[in-house]
Amino acid sequence: MSQYQFILRRLLQGILVIWGVVTLVFLLRYMTPGNPVDFVAPLDAGQETRDQVAADLGLDQPVYVQYFDYLFGLIQGDMGYSFIRSQPASSIIFARLPATIELALAATIVAIIFSIPLGVISATRRHEPADYAATSFSLVGISTPNFWLGIMLILLVSVGLGILPTSRRPIGFVPAMEMFIFQLEIQGIRTWIAHMILPAVTLGTYFTAMIVRLTRSGMLDELGKSYVLATRAKGVPETLVRYKHVLRNTMIPIITVLGLQLGTLIGGAVITEFVFNWPGLGTLIINAIDVRDWPIIQGSLIVIGVGFVIINIAVDALYAKLNPKVSYE
Amino acid sequence: MISDRVKQSLKREFSRSVMAKIGLVLVLVVLLTAIFAPFIAPHDPTQQGLEESNIPPAGVTYTTEEFQMVDGERQTVETETRGSLDHPFGTDALGRDLFSRVLFGARTSLLVGLGGTAVAVGTGVGVGLVAGYFGGRVDDGLMRFADIMLAFPALVLALALVGFFRGSDYQAIAIPDPFVRAGLVDGMPESFVFPLGLTVVVGIVNWVWFARISRGEALSIRQEEYVKAAKSLGASDWTILRQHVLPNSLTPIIVLATIQVAAIILLESSLSFLGFSGTTLSWGFDIAQGRDYLGTSWWIASIPGLAIVVTVVGINLLGDWLRDALDPGLEGEHGGGM
Amino acid sequence: MPSIPDSRANTEGGCEMIQKPLLRVRDLETRFFTEEGQVNAVEKLTLDIHDGEVFGIVGESGSGKSVTARSVLGLLESPGRVTGGELWYRDETFADTVRADHPDAVDGDYVDLESLPSNVRRTLRGTHFSMIFQDPMSSLNPSIPVGEQIAEAVEAQRRARANPRSVASRTQGYGLSQYLMSTVMGSRKYVKSESLERAVELLELVGIPDAPLRAKEYPHEYSGGMLQRAMIAQALAGEPKVLIADEPTTALDVTIQAQILDLLTELQEETGMTILLITHNLGVVARMCDRVGVMYAGEIVERGTLADVFDDPVHPYTQGLLGSIPDLEGIGARLQPIPGNVPSLLDHEMGGRCYFADRCPKAMEECLEHPPEFDVDGSSHHATRCYLAETTYSEARALDADYFGSAEPLEDAADEPVEPARSDGGNTEEDSR
Ligand SMILES: Nc1ncnc2c1ncn2[C@@H]1O[C@H](COP(=O)(O)OP(=O)(O)OP(=O)(O)O)[C@@H](O)[C@H]1O
Ligand code: SF4
Ligand SMILES: [Mg+2]
Repeated sequence: MSQYQFILRRLLQGILVIWGVVTLVFLLRYMTPGNPVDFVAPLDAGQETRDQVAADLGLDQPVYVQYFDYLFGLIQGDMGYSFIRSQPASSIIFARLPATIELALAATIVAIIFSIPLGVISATRRHEPADYAATSFSLVGISTPNFWLGIMLILLVSVGLGILPTSRRPIGFVPAMEMFIFQLEIQGIRTWIAHMILPAVTLGTYFTAMIVRLTRSGMLDELGKSYVLATRAKGVPETLVRYKHVLRNTMIPIITVLGLQLGTLIGGAVITEFVFNWPGLGTLIINAIDVRDWPIIQGSLIVIGVGFVIINIAVDALYAKLNPKVSYE
Repeated sequence: MISDRVKQSLKREFSRSVMAKIGLVLVLVVLLTAIFAPFIAPHDPTQQGLEESNIPPAGVTYTTEEFQMVDGERQTVETETRGSLDHPFGTDALGRDLFSRVLFGARTSLLVGLGGTAVAVGTGVGVGLVAGYFGGRVDDGLMRFADIMLAFPALVLALALVGFFRGSDYQAIAIPDPFVRAGLVDGMPESFVFPLGLTVVVGIVNWVWFARISRGEALSIRQEEYVKAAKSLGASDWTILRQHVLPNSLTPIIVLATIQVAAIILLESSLSFLGFSGTTLSWGFDIAQGRDYLGTSWWIASIPGLAIVVTVVGINLLGDWLRDALDPGLEGEHGGGM
Repeated sequence: MPSIPDSRANTEGGCEMIQKPLLRVRDLETRFFTEEGQVNAVEKLTLDIHDGEVFGIVGESGSGKSVTARSVLGLLESPGRVTGGELWYRDETFADTVRADHPDAVDGDYVDLESLPSNVRRTLRGTHFSMIFQDPMSSLNPSIPVGEQIAEAVEAQRRARANPRSVASRTQGYGLSQYLMSTVMGSRKYVKSESLERAVELLELVGIPDAPLRAKEYPHEYSGGMLQRAMIAQALAGEPKVLIADEPTTALDVTIQAQILDLLTELQEETGMTILLITHNLGVVARMCDRVGVMYAGEIVERGTLADVFDDPVHPYTQGLLGSIPDLEGIGARLQPIPGNVPSLLDHEMGGRCYFADRCPKAMEECLEHPPEFDVDGSSHHATRCYLAETTYSEARALDADYFGSAEPLEDAADEPVEPARSDGGNTEEDSR
C-alpha cells in the first residue's frame, strides 16, 4: 500500500470516527435530563410562549429529524444557534479556537524543549544527581493538578513578585504578528508573550514530566540493545549514537503515545483556560455546560473530536515514516 | 491468583527501591487519614465561624492593612493575626478549619479514586476481554467505539456527563459515618457526602484504557495451547474467559488500575475545582475557594493542593513499583489526569 | 583425541614468532558491580595476539568471552569497569600521536590503552579495532538503511584519518549543535556522499548482490546471512587492524555459517588483519584459528597453538570440552557438556581455590589454592592454570567426591540442561545475564 493510500484509508476511518463522535454527542444531549426550554424561556412564560421557544429551537420535531437536520447542518458548517446568545454556535466556537490552539501549541513547545533533554540526561546519567533531579521533577510533575499549579504560579509570580499578568489574553498571536509586520510595533508580541508564559508553563508541566518519564525509560531500554554497542564499536561519535540512533528510536513509540495523550492536553487546556480567564474553547465549554447551552457544548465537543482525529492521523503517518517496519498496512 | 514468582519479584523490587517504600508510606498515611479522619480532626470540617475566618497556619503571622476614617482623617490600621496550633493549617474565608478539611478531603479523593477505578475496570475489562476473545465483528465494533471515546478528552467528556446527575438524587449520597454512629467521636459530621454521580462519570470516561489493555491480553491468550485445549474439552466461552483469560491478564490490569487511581484523583479534583462534583468537602473545591483570596490568604488554595500532590505522588510511586516488578510493558498507556 | 588437520599445524610451527605481539593483554580484570555483588567477569587475563593471526577464545556460556571483547574495545558500561591490568597495543604511528599528551601510556611502539582517556580510546574504534556480533538482526539499527550505517563507519574512519595528529575528541567530534544543524541542512550531514559510495563498494566486497539497491534497504529487509555480511562490511569500513568477531556464526544456518567463515578467511588473507574469534564451536576453532585460549570463569585456563590445545590438553576442563568430538572438521562440533554449572562469578562466592575444582574429576588437595599459570610442553605459547602441568594426578591427594557439597554437580546437571547445550541455539548476551 502506498503512503497516499495509507493516509487516505486513515482519513476514511477518521471520518467514520467523527461521525461516531457527532452521533454520540447528539445522544448525550438527548439523554441528559433538563429541558433547554426551561433555560431559554422567561421564568413566568406560559405554555404558549414555551411552545413557541421550543419551535424556534427546533425542539418540537421528532428526534431523528433533529438528528438529520443537525447532521446536514454540520456538513455545511452550521452548528445551530446558541440558546443563550443569539449567534451561530459555529462563529462563537471558531472565534475562541485560536486562543486554545495557541495555548496548546505553546505548551507543547515548552514540553518538547524541556522534556527531551531532561529525559536524555536522565537516561545517560542514570543514578547520578542529574538523573535523580529529573526523575523527582517528573514524578511531581505528573502528580500535580495543573489548575493548582496555575494558581500557585499566579500566587508566586504575579501576586508575590508582581511580574507577569495573570489573566485574559488582550491580543492574539495573529494580530500581534500583524502589528509587528505592518506597523513594526513590537508591543503586541511582548504583550502576547507576557500573557502566554504562565498558562503555557501550567499546561506544559504535566507533559514535560510525562515525556521525561517516557524518554528516560524508553532510552534506557534502547541503550541496552546490541546495535548501540555495535554503533559505538564502529567509532561513531557518542553524540550521534545518542541522538541519531538511540533517541530517534526511542521517540518512535513515544510519538504514538503522545497522539493518544492529546486528549489529556486538551482537557488540561480547558482547565488552564479557566484558571487564567483565557478566552478560549475551554472557558466557553465550562460556561456552556453551566447554563446548558447545548449547541455550544455539542459544537465544541465535535471540534475537539475532529482535531483529535486529524492530529492522530498525522501522528500515524509520521510513525509510519519513522518506523521502516510499518509498511502502511 | 498471585503466583509465588510474582510475589517474589514484588518483594525484590520493593527491597531494592527506596521510591517504592516512600510510596507505600505516603499511601498508607493518606489511607489511614481518610479512614480515621474524625478521630484526628480537631474541628468539624464544615463548621463555620466568621470571627475565625482567614486565620493563617500555625506559626505564620499575617498582617492586614485597612484604611479607616478616624475623626474625619484617613488612617492605616494594621491588624496582626497569628496562626496557632488550634488551627494547624489555618482557616478559610468562612472560618472552617483547613486541617480538618484536608483530613476529610482525603476521604473524597480516595473514595472517588477507588470507586471510579472500579467502574472503569468493570466496564473496560469486560468490554476488552469480550472484544479480544471473540474477535471479528464484535471486536471491530467495540474497538471503533473505543476509538470514538478516545476522541473526547476525559475532562471534557466528564464535564458533559456530570449533567446527567445534576440535581438528581444520585449526584451525591450521604453515607453515615460509622464512628460517629457508634458514638466513638462527637462533634463530627453525622454523615459523609459521597459524590456517586461523579464517581460513575470519572469511571466511565476512563474505561477505554482498560479495554485496550485487556483486549490485547485476551488476543494473545486466546492463541495459547491451554485455552485451545480447554475449548476442545468443551469448556464454554464464558468459563474460559473467567478461568483462563481473566486471571492471566490480571498483571497489566492491576498496574494500570494503580496508575488510574492517581489519574482519577486528579480528575476528581479538577471537577471539584470547577464546582461540578456535588460535594463541598474536597481538596479541589477548597482550592477553588482559596483562589479568590490569593492576595490575602495564600494558604487556603495552597495547602489542599499539596495534599493532592502528596497523595498522587504516593500512588504513582506504588504504580512504578508494580510496573517495574511485573513489567507488563505499558509505558504511557493510560489516561492522563486532566 | 581428535587430531588436527596437518596443514594448519605446520604453519603453526613456522610461525613461532620472534616478532613482537600486536596486542599484549596483561592481568586484565573486569568487574561488574551489581546489586547481588561484585561479578568478576574477567579475572587476571593474560594473552598475546600476533599480527595477522586468528586467535580463538572458546568457553561455555557465561565464562566472560564477550566481556573480554568489550574490555578490549573499551566499551563497558556501568556497572561494568576494567579494574586492573594493562592492554598494550603496538602501533608506531599511534604511539607517536599520543606520546606528547600521555607519555606514561607509551612504551616504545606500544601504547597501554587502559591508561588512555576514553575520548582518545574512542578514536581507535572502527579504525584500529572493530567488532562483529552474534546476532546481526539486533546489531544493526532497525530504522536506518544498511548502507547509511556502513557509511557511518566509513565516515568515522575518514574523519579520523583526515587529522591523525590530534587525537582529541575534536577530530572525530560531532557535537549536538552540529547534529541539530545537519537535520536542517543536508550539507552538514555526518555521512557524506563519498562515504555512501564507499559503503556500496564494501557491500559488493562482502558479496551482496545489487549492492547499490540493497544499500538503501533496512535491516529487516535482509536475511540473516546477508545481514551478517553487511555487518562484516561495516566492521571493515575503517580498515581495522584487529577484528573481534563475537560468535559471528552462532545465529546462522549451518550452510550460511560456512559461507561467512569463508568470507572472513578470504578477507583476512586480503587485508592481513588480525582476528580475535570468540566461539562456542570447536569446529570453527579448528577451521579458522592459529592459536586458541580456553576460557573458564573469567580466566584463560589453557592457551597455546591449535596443536597444543587440541592434541595435548593439560587442563581437565579443556579435556572435558574436547571430550568425544567425533570429527573436528565438521562445523557442527560443539562444546561437550561437562557436568556441573559455570560458577556465578560473584566475588564472594569464588573463594581462593581453582575455580574448576568443584567440577574437576582430578581435583586434589593443592587445588584448594588458586593455581598460577604454568608453562607446558609443546610450543612456547602453551600454558595452563592447572597443577597437572607440574604434578601428576594421584588418588592419594584427591578430594572427596562430595567435598564441595554432596553430589551437587550431578544434581544440577540433572536439573537443567547443562550450559553449553543451551547455548547451541541463539544464545544471546541477555541470556547470560
Ligand atoms: N551488564 C552486565 N551486568 C552484570 N553482569 C554482567 C553484565 N554483562 C556480563 N555480565 C557478567 O559477566 C559474565 C560473563 O558474561 P559474557 O557475556 O562475557 O559471557 P560469554 O562467555 O560471552 O557467554 P555467551 O557464550 O553466552 O555469550 C556473566 O556471567 C555475567 O554475569
Ligand atoms: S587445578 Fe586442580 S582442580 Fe583445577 S583443573 Fe587442575 S586439577 Fe582440576
Ligand atoms: Mg557472549
